[in-house]
Amino acid sequence: MNDAVYTQLLDLACGAFLLAAVVVLWLRQLASIVRVFALQGVALAAVAALLGTYDRRWEVLAVATGIGVLRAGLLPLLMRRALTALAPAPGHPYEEDVSEARETEPLVNVAASLLSAALLTLLAYAVARPLVELNPTPATRALPVGLAVVLIGFFTLVTRRRALAQVVGFLLLDNGITATAFLAASGVPLIVELGVSFDVLLAVLVLRILTTRMRAAFGGTGLDDMRELSDR
Amino acid sequence: MTHALTTALLTAPVAGPLLASAAYAARRRPARAAGGPAAWLGLLSPLTILLCGAALAVTVPAHGAATAYGRMLRADALSVWMLLAIGAVATLACAASPGYLAREDADPPTVRRYHVLVHAFLAAMSAAVLAANLGVLWTAIEATTILTAFLVGHRRTRACVEAAWKYVVICSAGIALAFLGTVLLYYAARQAGISEASALDWPALAARADRLDPAVVRLGTGLVVLGFGAKAGLAPLHAWLPDAYGQAPAPVAALMSGVLSSVAFTGLLRYKVIADAALGSGYTRVLLAGLALLTLALAAALLLGQRDHQRMLAYSSMEHMALIALGAAVGTPLAAVAVLLHILGHGLAKTVAFCASGHIVRLRGTSRIGRVRGLLAEAPALGTAFALAVIALLGLPPFALFAAELGLARAGFAAGPYCAAALAAALALVLTSFAALGIRTARMLLGPPPGGRPPVRLGAVAGLPLAAGLLGCAALGTATGPLTRLLTAAAAIIGGH
Amino acid sequence: MNVIATATVTVAGLAAAAALAGAALPPRARAVTAGVCTAALGAAALAAGTAALGGRRWSASLPGLLPPAGIHLAVDALSGLFMAVGGAVVLAVAVYGIGYAAGHGPHGIASRGAQAVLPVFALALVLVPAAASVSTFLLLWETMALTSLLLVLAGHRAGSPARQAAVRAAGIWYAAMTHLGFVLLLAGLALFAAGAGGETFAALRAGAAGMPPLARGAVFTLVAAACASKAGAVPLHPWLPRAHPEAPGNVSALMSAAMVNLGVYGIVRTGFDLLGGGPRWWWLLVLGAGALSAVYGVLQAAVASDLKRLLSYSTSENLGLALVGVGAAGLFHATGNRAAASLALAAALLHIVNHAAFKALLFCAAGSVLRATGVRDLDRMGGLRARMPATTAFFAVAALGAVALPPGNGFFGEWLLLQSMIHGLAVPGVFTAIVLPLAVAVIALSAGLAAAVFVKALGVGFFARPRSAPAAEAAESPPTMLAGMGLLAAACAALALVPGLLGDGLSRAVAAAGLADGRPLTGGALGVRLDRLAASLSPLWVACALTAALAAVSALTRLTARRRRRGNARLWDCGGGAPTARMSYTATSFAEPLQRVFDDVLAPEQDVNVTPISESAYLVERVRYQRRVPDRIEHRLYRPFLDTVTGLGRASRRLASGSVHLYLGYGFFGLVALLLALAVGA
Repeated sequence: MNDAVYTQLLDLACGAFLLAAVVVLWLRQLASIVRVFALQGVALAAVAALLGTYDRRWEVLAVATGIGVLRAGLLPLLMRRALTALAPAPGHPYEEDVSEARETEPLVNVAASLLSAALLTLLAYAVARPLVELNPTPATRALPVGLAVVLIGFFTLVTRRRALAQVVGFLLLDNGITATAFLAASGVPLIVELGVSFDVLLAVLVLRILTTRMRAAFGGTGLDDMRELSDR
Repeated sequence: MTHALTTALLTAPVAGPLLASAAYAARRRPARAAGGPAAWLGLLSPLTILLCGAALAVTVPAHGAATAYGRMLRADALSVWMLLAIGAVATLACAASPGYLAREDADPPTVRRYHVLVHAFLAAMSAAVLAANLGVLWTAIEATTILTAFLVGHRRTRACVEAAWKYVVICSAGIALAFLGTVLLYYAARQAGISEASALDWPALAARADRLDPAVVRLGTGLVVLGFGAKAGLAPLHAWLPDAYGQAPAPVAALMSGVLSSVAFTGLLRYKVIADAALGSGYTRVLLAGLALLTLALAAALLLGQRDHQRMLAYSSMEHMALIALGAAVGTPLAAVAVLLHILGHGLAKTVAFCASGHIVRLRGTSRIGRVRGLLAEAPALGTAFALAVIALLGLPPFALFAAELGLARAGFAAGPYCAAALAAALALVLTSFAALGIRTARMLLGPPPGGRPPVRLGAVAGLPLAAGLLGCAALGTATGPLTRLLTAAAAIIGGH
Repeated sequence: MNVIATATVTVAGLAAAAALAGAALPPRARAVTAGVCTAALGAAALAAGTAALGGRRWSASLPGLLPPAGIHLAVDALSGLFMAVGGAVVLAVAVYGIGYAAGHGPHGIASRGAQAVLPVFALALVLVPAAASVSTFLLLWETMALTSLLLVLAGHRAGSPARQAAVRAAGIWYAAMTHLGFVLLLAGLALFAAGAGGETFAALRAGAAGMPPLARGAVFTLVAAACASKAGAVPLHPWLPRAHPEAPGNVSALMSAAMVNLGVYGIVRTGFDLLGGGPRWWWLLVLGAGALSAVYGVLQAAVASDLKRLLSYSTSENLGLALVGVGAAGLFHATGNRAAASLALAAALLHIVNHAAFKALLFCAAGSVLRATGVRDLDRMGGLRARMPATTAFFAVAALGAVALPPGNGFFGEWLLLQSMIHGLAVPGVFTAIVLPLAVAVIALSAGLAAAVFVKALGVGFFARPRSAPAAEAAESPPTMLAGMGLLAAACAALALVPGLLGDGLSRAVAAAGLADGRPLTGGALGVRLDRLAASLSPLWVACALTAALAAVSALTRLTARRRRRGNARLWDCGGGAPTARMSYTATSFAEPLQRVFDDVLAPEQDVNVTPISESAYLVERVRYQRRVPDRIEHRLYRPFLDTVTGLGRASRRLASGSVHLYLGYGFFGLVALLLALAVGA
């Protein structure tokens, strides 16, 4: 493909990537959040695939496929399984509270969250300037998107009140870092990529198991209930 | 030193614990909960690490760094020093584990899971220390977070689940930031013309660091300091520490506090070497010193009103990691020697303190300081061990932490007016922590036995690791003896200027 | 063969042996073996110190120990003086301690821990003057602090809960303030080593001249503050009246007679020897602190009714006087008058030696009383002269030394100090014209008040009738304790009668401190003559004359008085019934006029609580009266600071409130701050 098409497709994929992160901030239903996260995984795989196709490096394409499977397929599947495990059994005689499946009153309201997302994107652009200047290619010009998603992911991690939403925030953070890796240097060496993916998978599994235990111990996955260990 | 022997010495610290872990996982026969010779076989894996470290300590200072598997695993003097630290602390902690499990009255699956995870944890730490590739280093440290998550959440109580959740989330977030920093460093290396195969190889990067772009390295190093600092207990991502150390089993808390923080900090030091070559030492000096002073202030403030003795020891760990960071910030050769002494001495003393603290919790059933009184009268051996461990942590002679703090002070005051001012502020904060820690320990230890209970014996099995740790810390503080060449070589790596 | 080398090695070996014996042996053998080894340690140190005072020197270095610095030792005449003093006190107190520990049961001072730690304390005490590098000095200083802390806490299980709480509080104050001193000392010496470019004292001496005046001033201020705290100088003194009383008897004697001297050693060594003297403001600070300590210490001692607290404040006063001497020496040195400087320094050092002798004896006697009666309160003692005659005699000898009147041993030192000040008035200068007369006035005031203090202690504590049941049942101490006190009493007598024998040693010590200017004191057994100043004194003749006069007066009265028959009669009791022993003149009443005169300084607190009976407010059921003289400096200076710090600690608990959002928020803000800083700075 020629440069103009490549640049446009790349910018489209990166834009979708960033938009997915912002939409996660906006939504409150956990099921929808997981769906948007899966879409973000697709966008990330698309970015990687484009980079691989443009540079004609087939191992990058292979890694892109792997990333797509992991972040758009496997991880959202695990999250959905965790959600259904938390949901009440059907046919229960009493009317169950379904608040497990949605965020309660947010720590930072939606308007403020979106405003913060905008500010964080600006910060990412400011910070990434020397990175872009080092090697001005279309890929690195999109680098600030990766950093912005990292910051937005951290923000999500900080401000969510449900355990699974915090896990999604962590995964957004990780997606952003992977995007930065690809945009900057077409990914990291294979062995490191494998290790990172494996670690992320294990982390999500651990967090799933902890969520189940949390439900058993606290009766819910609201993080505000967990304030017993303190110095007060 | 033949190649085969080198390979064996470099593989054994990682493979030995992995094999032990697999052996425990494969045992389907429900063993007795604890005790018996099977429990003591678990001591073989940390002893392997310790012996390999000792063997390498003889050869590496004389012949230079040893490599294996085509430079995948590499042992320079710093790695060997850390292997010795891991081996020593792990031996003490694993010697205290069977007693802990027996007291807890754990069922066989729990015991099996405990042993599997602990030995895998040791393998991950050894891999982190021996890795030559920065990406493998990162992966190993992330692996330690995952492996210790279920060790922190060992019991299924609410407090354990809460501590485990906070630990995993905060540490994973931090480590992810460290990975971002590594990615940026990789980018800078590729742009400087280093080939893809060696762009994350530490010796290659350290040799050609002056060619890296300063701005990218600045950003990357900042992120790595925040990220690995989270694992090492430095502010601002420090808050998981008291909760995790308070809820983890005492031997695991000893391992985490004694070596895991130091291993993470060693990883940070490797990045610091690259950054100093690329940027000059001013940037990392300001960053590390600022974070160290902030951590010291937080630790001192939270020790002043502390009511729980395990959290008290956790904040003391934060304080010592901050002093280590301050030593790394100063960066002179004397400061580097002080940092390494501090790492090993703190590991030994903290292990004894946490193991003794675990015994106290079992004895009194609570970890609140206000409910523990007259410990020296009721359990003389335990009280003496705890008292000596706290004396070691307070930086009093003859223990190694005294020599380390002396070295740090002399190095800091000699390094310029800003370093001197930072060190003066640090000394004032350390004095506050000293007073707070001393008051609380005195309240716990002194006085007549409550309710006139008869004295409780500690037993040789439980007492021997405590005594060995204290003796080791005192011996290190008196003379480094055979370790002197290794110490000097390791200090040259981190404080070469 | 070098005497000092052999003696030092013997000291180290004996300390190890005594510590092992104390830790391993059964209770009865423990105290004896450890005590004998510690006494031998003291004797060896005394020998080393005397050899050094005789002119020998020694140095050694052990680079393998104490990573990364190594240990360096060096003994010259100045260190020898302090080693000798420390060794002599250790010898006598160790002998005393054998008997003291034997009567105490398995806990407390006779426990394994205490008996193992005591020799290490003695070792550190004796070796601090021999340190010749910054690291060695700090190592020995901290070892001394740690071991003395453990010994102060030795009695944490004995007595009532109030007493146990007092021991804990004493330990905590002592630990905190000693560590404060250590931190100041570490900062000062590390700064010095950085500025001079080396760690050993030789390097410091060589490099001090090249340091800028600001750095030298900072070093001196830090080191002097730390050493003044160790010496119990006001305002860094609150640990002293808490720690010394709560420690066991032999430990209090060691701390108060030997350990506090090392504060003065530190100031002399750093100020005169290593830094080579300095501007006047340094020495004015030292002199001011000394004068303040002297007056404040003796006033607090005057109103104290706890015997050991009284003695602790007296320590503060005496070391204040020594610091006045050191400060005056420095002032004279700064203005160029070397003769007066060396004389003033010799006077200060002699005062330290005298103080060690009589203070150790005073504390040993107080420990003896405490062991026999179990009370420390002077108001409840009394009548001990009949039941414990030897202890009373020893206390009287030491008290005579403490009041600095002839024929006591404190007289000569104060005379020397006053001589140096008065002759220093001849030095031209505004400062000396104002400061020196004030210093002379302070010395005179403290001497006068000290007389009142010790008359109170001796009279109220030992004479009259017993005021409580334990005092009425007191028994004399065992022979080992009396032997130890006897050694100290012999030392006091020797210092009182033939102080001239120390003249050469003192001159050499002053020369080693860097004030080499001939020999300020010359003399022998019969008398002392001051070099270049028209003054001489013969204490022996003075004592003989006094004794002869006393004998003559008593013989005369006995010969000329008419013999009357003695008969028994009832004392006139003002018609109110027979007075009980409790109604006699107590320590509080003795001190009341003094306390009224110095009311503004002491600020006593009085509390009267009247409880009427429930049916009528006009009839009184109970009246409760309480009067306390608190340590005003501790109240005004330390309490507000400690309250602020505690409040800060309580408020900081909110930083760890348990919310995972807060914890992650810290990290997020840290990250954003870092990125902003990088973005802005780029």
